[in-house]
Amino acid sequence: MTSRAQALDRTTDALHPVRAGLLREAHADAEALLSRAGREADALLGRARAEARALLEEARRQGEAEGADAARDLLVEARRKARSRTLAARREAYEELRREAAERVRELRATGGYASLRKRLEHRARALLGPGAEVREHADGGVVARAPGRRADLSLTALADRALDRTGAEARSLWEP
Amino acid sequence: MSPRGAIEYTSVRELRGPLAIVAGVTGIGWDEYVRITLASGELRHGVVLDADRDLAVVQVLEGTAGMDPEGVRAAFAGGPLRVPVGTDWLGRVCNGRGEPLDGGPPVLGFQDAEVGGAPINPVRREPPSEPVLTGVGAVDALTTLVRGQKLPVFSVAGLPHLELAAQIAAQATAAGEAFSVVFAGMGLTHADASFVRDALEERSAAGELVLLLNTADDPVIERILTPRIALTVAEHLAFAEGRHVLVVMTDMTTYAEALREVSAARGEIPARRAYPGYLYSDLASLYERCGRIRGRPGSVTVLPVLTMPAGDITHPVPDLTGYITEGQIVLSPETHARGVYPPLDALSSLSRLMRKGAGPGRTRDDHLDVAAQLLAALARARQVRDLADLVGRSALSPTDRRYLDFDEAFLRDFADQRSDEPRDLDTALERGWRALLALPRSELSMLPVDLLDAHGAKDAPDAEAPR
Repeated sequence: MTSRAQALDRTTDALHPVRAGLLREAHADAEALLSRAGREADALLGRARAEARALLEEARRQGEAEGADAARDLLVEARRKARSRTLAARREAYEELRREAAERVRELRATGGYASLRKRLEHRARALLGPGAEVREHADGGVVARAPGRRADLSLTALADRALDRTGAEARSLWEP
Repeated sequence: MSPRGAIEYTSVRELRGPLAIVAGVTGIGWDEYVRITLASGELRHGVVLDADRDLAVVQVLEGTAGMDPEGVRAAFAGGPLRVPVGTDWLGRVCNGRGEPLDGGPPVLGFQDAEVGGAPINPVRREPPSEPVLTGVGAVDALTTLVRGQKLPVFSVAGLPHLELAAQIAAQATAAGEAFSVVFAGMGLTHADASFVRDALEERSAAGELVLLLNTADDPVIERILTPRIALTVAEHLAFAEGRHVLVVMTDMTTYAEALREVSAARGEIPARRAYPGYLYSDLASLYERCGRIRGRPGSVTVLPVLTMPAGDITHPVPDLTGYITEGQIVLSPETHARGVYPPLDALSSLSRLMRKGAGPGRTRDDHLDVAAQLLAALARARQVRDLADLVGRSALSPTDRRYLDFDEAFLRDFADQRSDEPRDLDTALERGWRALLALPRSELSMLPVDLLDAHGAKDAPDAEAPR
């Protein structure tokens, strides 16, 4: 063995612990890195899973809330429709009552008592507007009186209208028991 | 039949804007209600703005468009407007003068009443007591509304005051007793009117709500009638039918503007900011119609909403309203900017009658203590926030930093609420407790020891330890 080779062996032997130490350290580092990477991957996966779960949960909650909102909107809409139909029916009944009343009161013209009624209305008109008022028969029965700047409508339909206005809540019996 | 209602005056001298000048009249008074029949048979309504000798100036509510002075007949009612009163109003939606908007028949009642009403005789007033719970946590916990009270909401343009008013109208209750709401919307835009209708649909369908909607394009004189009709209907529901009635009136500033317009048309001498000199007594004639009457069931509680032009609390409308009412709920643009609804400025808000309607035997034993502690902590938190702006958060003491945490919890957990979420008082107070427990026990000096123990208040180990 040459002295050069011997020197090399000595160096190798001397470096052996260093190499071994370096190797050990490298292994340890690699292992630590690997395990950290593994932990990080696990944590990341865990976070991603949790996030996905939260997203799903949120989506479900949102869906449920939207569904509930939509259901409430539908309910409100249905209630509104039902209510407006009820009210429209009541209005129809009320208008029918007014039409009927006007019709009936016009029929008074054909009765025997009409002449005396007309006389009373004429008297009333002159009391309201003064003796000089011009009093005319209304086409629907009753009278209309005129004085300069003033007028008194004592036609049968106008009287029926005013009488109905005064009855107030009695008309409610049309739709209330 | 009174001779007054039967005579129609046919000599209309002039039509100008919404005004009709009727000549040849005798014995006509201010504010008299007028039925106007057109040549076509169409019926319109009006109110006497001014009467002088044989002339009467009538403001036509539906406007004078399409009217020919030749064929017009005006019948004077002999007195101010009267409306039928009774339970028929419940569940109805009407315009600002009480005519149906919901497609139904006219509102009918066995009795009628003058819309001007008469304030309650002070001797017969029963002091307000018992709460009206609005279902808005921050309002119920900190500025409890009491039956028979008048408590205005002060807001500025752009804040969700209409939303809050509608939410209160939709949710308010009186501990299971018969309860109704009369909502008078004045000068609303059509979008706002439709929002209000939608928000209150459920209560309306349940027959607990009267909705009067005067829109911005409706005649101004109608806007003056709207709150009066609302209060007249409410008074009957309360004192004849024995219900607790909440009257929500929004927006009182547009009402006052209508009053100013009518006053100018009458040629009256303008006072502050051109509002009539009688603005104070006019507002009082509305607000003072709330209350309870000795020996009668029921109550009328008034919640007027008003916007302060340019946020000016010294503007005549909020200023005069503040003189008459018993406290105020103030909304704050800063809180609104932080995304909190309702944006209540808790430190500026106050219900003067809260002690009569809240606390032991009325709401919850700890209610008043918790409310006082919340406000005290909030006041300190505001100082701390100002300090933090100067020195930075890191320079604050640990306790001060806890106050900032409290402030955040107060806004996010206690005050913030969805506009369709009814929150009962228990939940609201528990959330209040939760916010307070962000503070060390030593800071909660307004709460009794047993309550602090029960809620597990802890003294922070690092209370004042240096960092």
